[in-house]
Amino acid sequence: MVLLREGLCPGLSEDLIKALREGDVRTVEDLVLSDPEHLAQKCSVSYKALVAVRRVLLAQHTAFPVSGADLYDELLSSTSILSTGIGSVDKLLDSGLYTGEITELCGGPGTGKTQTCFSVAVHVAHELKQKVMYVDTNGGICANRLLQILQQKTANTAEQMNALQRIDVLRVFDVFTLLSCLQNLRASSLQRGSVGVGGSVKAVIVDSVSAVLSHMLGGKQNEGMSLMMQVATELKIIAKDFNVAVLVTNHVTRDRNNQLKAGLGQTWSHVPRTRILLQRTEQPGASSSFRTATLLKSSRRPCYLMEEFDLSPQPQEESRPRFAGKRKLDTDS
Amino acid sequence: MMLRTVCSSPLAPSVKVKLITAGFHTAADLTDVQPLQLCKAAGLSQEEADEVLRTLRDDPSPVQRRAAVQCLTALDLLHQEETRGSIVTFCSELDTVLGGGIPVGRTTEICGAPGVGKTQLCVQLAVDVQIPVCFGGLGGEAVFVDTEGGFVVERLVGVARAAVEHCAALAEDQEQRGALESFTVEKILSGVFLMRCHDYVELLAELHLLPDFLKKHPQVRLVVIDSMAFPFRHELEDLSQRTRLLSGFAQKLTRLASAQHGPAVVLTNQMTTKVSSSQSRLVPALGEIWGHAATQKLILHWEGAQRFVSLYKSSSHKDATVPYQLTAEGFRDATVSVSSFPSRSPAAGSHSKRPRTEH
Repeated sequence: MVLLREGLCPGLSEDLIKALREGDVRTVEDLVLSDPEHLAQKCSVSYKALVAVRRVLLAQHTAFPVSGADLYDELLSSTSILSTGIGSVDKLLDSGLYTGEITELCGGPGTGKTQTCFSVAVHVAHELKQKVMYVDTNGGICANRLLQILQQKTANTAEQMNALQRIDVLRVFDVFTLLSCLQNLRASSLQRGSVGVGGSVKAVIVDSVSAVLSHMLGGKQNEGMSLMMQVATELKIIAKDFNVAVLVTNHVTRDRNNQLKAGLGQTWSHVPRTRILLQRTEQPGASSSFRTATLLKSSRRPCYLMEEFDLSPQPQEESRPRFAGKRKLDTDS
Repeated sequence: MMLRTVCSSPLAPSVKVKLITAGFHTAADLTDVQPLQLCKAAGLSQEEADEVLRTLRDDPSPVQRRAAVQCLTALDLLHQEETRGSIVTFCSELDTVLGGGIPVGRTTEICGAPGVGKTQLCVQLAVDVQIPVCFGGLGGEAVFVDTEGGFVVERLVGVARAAVEHCAALAEDQEQRGALESFTVEKILSGVFLMRCHDYVELLAELHLLPDFLKKHPQVRLVVIDSMAFPFRHELEDLSQRTRLLSGFAQKLTRLASAQHGPAVVLTNQMTTKVSSSQSRLVPALGEIWGHAATQKLILHWEGAQRFVSLYKSSSHKDATVPYQLTAEGFRDATVSVSSFPSRSPAAGSHSKRPRTEH
């Protein structure tokens, strides 16, 4: 709750604050919770003034009721569905990432989480011409790969460059910087107003949220949990208030029965609205680029739906000799 | 930014509790407060109050902060990646798979059974990173953090000599011949900084000091830690503690690599046997969460007498498996096919330690 200070609301004068402080009432919370009659007597202030201040403060801090019909209208006008660029993942998500929601991809190492994020970033930046904020916490971002995906979509270099410019990359390696980045995004969106023309961020991708959080959880550390929930709150506010699709990635752990489950524990599992588990297709011998996606949590489609997809649909892989001298070295043996 | 909250700032938990009980929740609550006032109101010491105000107010003048979080567009990043280059491995097939070699500015993990050639590859990289620019190399230096005691300097000399001879054979123009004069075995040896860490405490300490070391030696383009697994597999009893330490470690390494002129970070890891429903297989050690640590993962393994290297995880290239061999000169392309490979003693199983080519 907020500290009582002058200018917070009309009628809250310095004298009144001082008098209240004598009576151990320092914050809005204290004031609202105490009985005004009792308080007026204890601090010898005017009962009327106290009730007036209390009423204004309550009105300031309360939530405003919205009717369902209005909400529905707003939903229809403001929600958009961003395709991930991968057909079968879209099918699981009921045609794509919904703005105003947090979607989570979880999976073990090398299961295609980052690749799916790249695909979303490129699709939103190129096809939808919207801005994307890509928060990279584990060093996985690779602009070369983004370019490769773009090259499959268009041969026009100017378009490729424009799309790349619409992807803002933030490289963050600890949770405090992550929080301040998210808060900055919120502040700058507030300044610009949420209906910026083409300039506002439509998708926020955090790859991966577990990398900055997992070492602060468990053991005797209490702070990690609180920081995790703050990240969750920030993400939710950004998603809801600015109508942004939020995509996060998470690692997996195994439970006692050796079953895969998403990382970061029970508390975090309430945060994403939709959760997808990515897995490698088990094939003895050769590794393939095929992955399966399983829906673990969703409010639209039945859970445990499974789809298969290919990470690199283009069979040929171009090798780029970037250094002239390197080729010469390679001819040896 | 006025939206910053006390809870989300990097302050000590006890300080946060004091601030919150005193009613300070956001940066906005602290805008007009003087340090002395804060001391009195929240019961903090003078230093703590100063620190709180510095932390929560520095955002409007983000000189220091901007350096920490640089907001780039993907296009800027692409240019950055193009200037970084990569370290060749001297195995052309592996270079092709990796798109030119081990990328600078990223973390790469090399996993493999004992004796399959993890340290050999690391030594090879420590030499290759020093190849002069006119030969297509990086002309850098290397830091080699040895935790197992597996670093053999004679081997480094052998690999270095082979690399020098190789470059000498390739020299064509005046510039390359000129560069060769200073590209000698002695030069290579003096460009490798060896750090011997005996336990995980030393390793953690070393990691904290590395950024300063890199600042003093800006030519370093490669940091090898051989191996990550050894100190963490033998000394830590508490498994969840180990996982937490390792995740923190991974973040530090990623930060190190992603810095402005960050080096390539190469880690080696051992393999462990995982038993799952009636069959066992070899998987990288240190647990599943550590698997997320490096952006690229190479697994070295045997198939009969032939050695193979697999790219298992990468954010930029497709998975692939290619053969290689270890010779007296170092890490090289496999020249002979599997069938014509000289057969070795039948006792050697597929994962057992086998003799290296003598040097």
